[in-house]
Amino acid sequence: MTINRRGFIKANAIAAAAAVAGVSVPAIASNLITSSDMTKLKWDKAPCRFCGTGCSVNVGVMDGKVVATHGDIKSPVNKGLNCVKGYFLSKIMYGKDRLTTPLLRMTNGKYDKEGEFAPISWDKAFDIMAEKAKDALKKDGPKAVGMFGSGQWTVQEGYAAVKLMKAGFRSNNIDPNARHCMASAVGGFMRTFGIDEPMGCYDDLEAADAFVLWGSNMAEMHPILWTRLTDRRLSSPHVKVAVLSTFEHRSFDLADNGMIFTPQTDLAILNYIANYIIKTDRVNKDFVSKHTNFRLGETDIGYGLRPEHPLEQAAKNNGKTAGSSTPIDFDEYAKFVSTYTVEYVSKLSGVPEHKLEALAELYADPKIKVTSFWTMGFNQHTRGVWANNLVYNIHLLTGKISTPGNSPFSLTGQPSACGTAREVGTFSHRLPADMVVTNPKHRATAEKTWDLPEGTIPPKPGYHAVLQTRMLKDGKLNFYWVQCNNNMQAGANINEEAYPGYRNPKNFIVVSDPYPTVTAQAADLILPTAMWVEKEGVYGNAERRTQSWYQMVEAPTGAKSDLWQLVEFSKRFAIEDVWPEELIAKKPEVRGKTLFDVLYKDSSVGKFSLDEVPEDRLNDDARDFGFYIQKGLFEEYATFGRGHAHDLAPYDTYHKERGLRWPVVNGKETKWRFKEGSDPYVKAGSGWDFYGHKDGRARIFALPYEPAAESPDEEYDLWLSTGRVLEHWHSGSMTQRVPELYKAMPDALVYMHPDDAKKRGMRRGDLVKLISRRGEVQTRVETRGRNKPPIGLVFMPWFDASRLVNKVTLDATDPLSKQTDFKKCAIKIVKV
Amino acid sequence: MKKILMIGWKTLTKPSGYYSLGALVIGGFVAGIIFWGGFNTALEVTNTEAFCISCHEMENNVYEEMKTTIHFSNRSGVRATCPDCHVPHNWTSKIARKMQASKEVWGMIFGTINTREKFLVHRKRLAQNEWDRLKANDSLECRNCHNFDYMDFTEQSDRAAYQHSTALASGEKTCIDCHKGIAHQLPDMKGVEGW
Amino acid sequence: MKKINLAVIASLLVLAVLPMMYSLNANAADKETVNSLATLRDHTPIDVQKEPNRIPKVINKDIKQGRNYPMQPPVIPHTTRSYEVNKYNNKCMSCHSRHRTEKSQAPMVSVTHFMNRDGNFLAEISPRRYFCNQCHVTQLDAEPLVENTFTDMHSLMNEKSKAKSEEH
Repeated sequence: MTINRRGFIKANAIAAAAAVAGVSVPAIASNLITSSDMTKLKWDKAPCRFCGTGCSVNVGVMDGKVVATHGDIKSPVNKGLNCVKGYFLSKIMYGKDRLTTPLLRMTNGKYDKEGEFAPISWDKAFDIMAEKAKDALKKDGPKAVGMFGSGQWTVQEGYAAVKLMKAGFRSNNIDPNARHCMASAVGGFMRTFGIDEPMGCYDDLEAADAFVLWGSNMAEMHPILWTRLTDRRLSSPHVKVAVLSTFEHRSFDLADNGMIFTPQTDLAILNYIANYIIKTDRVNKDFVSKHTNFRLGETDIGYGLRPEHPLEQAAKNNGKTAGSSTPIDFDEYAKFVSTYTVEYVSKLSGVPEHKLEALAELYADPKIKVTSFWTMGFNQHTRGVWANNLVYNIHLLTGKISTPGNSPFSLTGQPSACGTAREVGTFSHRLPADMVVTNPKHRATAEKTWDLPEGTIPPKPGYHAVLQTRMLKDGKLNFYWVQCNNNMQAGANINEEAYPGYRNPKNFIVVSDPYPTVTAQAADLILPTAMWVEKEGVYGNAERRTQSWYQMVEAPTGAKSDLWQLVEFSKRFAIEDVWPEELIAKKPEVRGKTLFDVLYKDSSVGKFSLDEVPEDRLNDDARDFGFYIQKGLFEEYATFGRGHAHDLAPYDTYHKERGLRWPVVNGKETKWRFKEGSDPYVKAGSGWDFYGHKDGRARIFALPYEPAAESPDEEYDLWLSTGRVLEHWHSGSMTQRVPELYKAMPDALVYMHPDDAKKRGMRRGDLVKLISRRGEVQTRVETRGRNKPPIGLVFMPWFDASRLVNKVTLDATDPLSKQTDFKKCAIKIVKV
Repeated sequence: MKKILMIGWKTLTKPSGYYSLGALVIGGFVAGIIFWGGFNTALEVTNTEAFCISCHEMENNVYEEMKTTIHFSNRSGVRATCPDCHVPHNWTSKIARKMQASKEVWGMIFGTINTREKFLVHRKRLAQNEWDRLKANDSLECRNCHNFDYMDFTEQSDRAAYQHSTALASGEKTCIDCHKGIAHQLPDMKGVEGW
Repeated sequence: MKKINLAVIASLLVLAVLPMMYSLNANAADKETVNSLATLRDHTPIDVQKEPNRIPKVINKDIKQGRNYPMQPPVIPHTTRSYEVNKYNNKCMSCHSRHRTEKSQAPMVSVTHFMNRDGNFLAEISPRRYFCNQCHVTQLDAEPLVENTFTDMHSLMNEKSKAKSEEH
């Protein structure tokens, strides 16, 4: 809009009038405000709220409101760039339906499972929560209470939750939604290397000669890493990109070798590559003999379904031994993979032989530095841990690991899946710094750090994510608190498990969220929650980078952070309410105290005073509790990892840096782990040292191809894969409330091959029903979208709260990692 | 053997002493009809989409790519088939194009583009052939359906209306100058004018 | 005496009416909260399927949309159906690149697009910005399900500026 002649005359007229009235008009351009006290924005850094890439963003605040965000030019991760979601971060906190008061299902002013939601005070909310939790504890003990948390919790929130659940309530029934996301990656790391998280870092993106994407659509799910990969590929013509998927997607736009394979046959392709490396005599014998050993893994391990399911009845080794293995030698391993010939694997997978050979050659050629990336294609897989093991195999056979550009790299979906879920250990079987509850030494370490009597932490793993929903349905988990996730939309098979579980009259379900999500809709009590820069926190991204941020704006009145909720709730429990007398007797000084005193205020968590909170900074949580709680939690948590290859820098350092990659030893971050020279934990003269295992060796596993839990048949004749989209983050509870993002991708459609549609008498836009053995969902057909499935497979994203594709999916999991396979189940599609 | 051939040759060159001239003329005429009809029928058969995509090079590459484009599926269901755009309608050009096409048949027999990768290697050249042809005939095959005289600019987007009423109207540009890659994926466009 | 009676009656009335008004307000608040609960599901219960709306059309009006803040990547005001952006070619750049804008009269990509990771300007747009659709998206003709109350810094400045000039 330019100022027209009429407007110009009008402006002059105003100036004339002002002059007559004696009002001074600013001398400089009247339509621009230029005075610095008006135009100044307060800028501060924060990690992005969305994916595991961990971009840093600058957040601009004016008058207590976030008014702008942009990519942080100083951040090594994104160097000033954001993806479309990141650029709209400014608007995620301002959906009109932000929750500002606790809501309880009530009838006539009293809690009623079948009642309607009505506002209550925080005090009343905690009253009913405490009452329900205490009832459950009294009736069935610690196993009747549980919590479902998140890889979007801050490190401090996750740590406070672990302490509350595992030490306070003495229940291991705490699991994060990260179980759906990267539990198989954790399983893979622990099995092959004995220590969690990638050895490499994002610097590999600028160093590699070849990239292989295994079930990862980076172009949409990790857009900023994709910009770095694109930069490398297009600016260095020798670089090659191979993309493997069960359907064609945007990452294929850059692929030199794009491969569509039949679901589940990635296992066979991985073994074929190992076979190819051996057959063409390109095994790095020196590396293999010094730094690896070989093992034969247990097979026929089932599909993580309910025990009465026929598949579990048929499986031979789906019990405790599923993860066991026996030592073998190289020759035995070579013989094991020798059946995976190019002819066999090409036939099985549908990938042409010459494409498989070109792929294998990238790994085999000693001159090519190769980085493998994978996300949910590998992890959401009933053999996810195996898939992770198998990709490490080929990097280990060639010694292409832990050096710049040579990197098997698991990417994560959530901003702190690594930082909070994995490193803090918010899993049902874990403790901080890779420790596990089943190990008495690990429990003792935690009890000592927490200054608690021996025997506080229960030794048996609690209910994992999928088991939690099953236990809710079975009425065995009765008090359940969901924070920072949307599992009624994200979990598989909600029709048969989660929904009946939440609505089971025996259970009391609490959901904390900034917005009224599908999960909140299924709850009994909803707690309004502060988000992102409305609180202070720390996130850890996929390359081990720990990043912190300050609180920048106030939360809407009534909304409180997850941290405040957890810690404030702990005040409602006297130690006598939750611990048996014999435990209290071991430490009589806790008598008469509350969980708040024992776990937080009087522990090392409470030792930093408010004086350390910068005066000009907001910090509602710390000022409310009377001590710098975020620093206290972080520092206590950091003691677990310091000196144990998980070293974190002092808390205040993170407020100054654009994040640091752990282990941070003597102020220096670590880029490539397990390699002498770049990892301070590697013994001098060893070259490589896989110190996660006692023998310093990584393990190469002989594991076969085994079929998927459910494959298409005559009636249910299509594969269904679910997944995400660029414009929305996960369940869309934040991004669907940003109008520009909503309008870019408003609905979840089912992407089909045009021939598949034609065969069923369907066309683009037709209203259809996706039907599985478990449920159905309605949506519309897309035959020419960005995803191009092959004949026989359809894809539907799960961001759409109004079209719950997880009513259809199967809750089969990897028996080792307990992670659900959201990529494979059998459905049929009919016209409505 | 040689003897037999010589006898045959002699018979053919010998003036007819057996059939009447009329019979020969009529016979020749009938044979001509049959031959010509057969030729045209064959020509027509090879002018169908079904024929084009009977070889998998066409079906798996260009035809598959076309399925998601507006020339395949659109609001009114008026569909362009392969020959609509790729076979000239007037006889001489058609025959010329057919002779060119024999090279494509050769390619099919000898597997010059029997994989996607091989096809992509040749794609730039193949596309350039078509662009050149359409440029030379002022996008004749486009104009067989999209007649400039009957375009309603008010029904077009502002950008399209502007370009069509100026560059296209003046003859400065022809359809193919701007509308490359509308029915199939594009090759490497390095050095292509307007790109 | 009469006056006192009136006062008593009045105060009694107030006492009686106040709670009623209060409860009326509370009920109204309840309703609003309850009704806003399933905002993205159009208030449909979880075990019921909301009828999927038709696939909306891409807005193709070529009219620039205002930006929420200066750093926001502009949304695409036209359809991009069949626009290829892949390793062979970039259709967007056939109009928006520096040497094409004179002919196309399309806006040129901003200077930031020429910067590499280290902030140096290249002679052509940086390959890190190659895939336009990672930041720039088309808009479909769909009505947002939830209003967004984001405040434009400009309106905050104007308010302050107005307040300041009123002070004088």
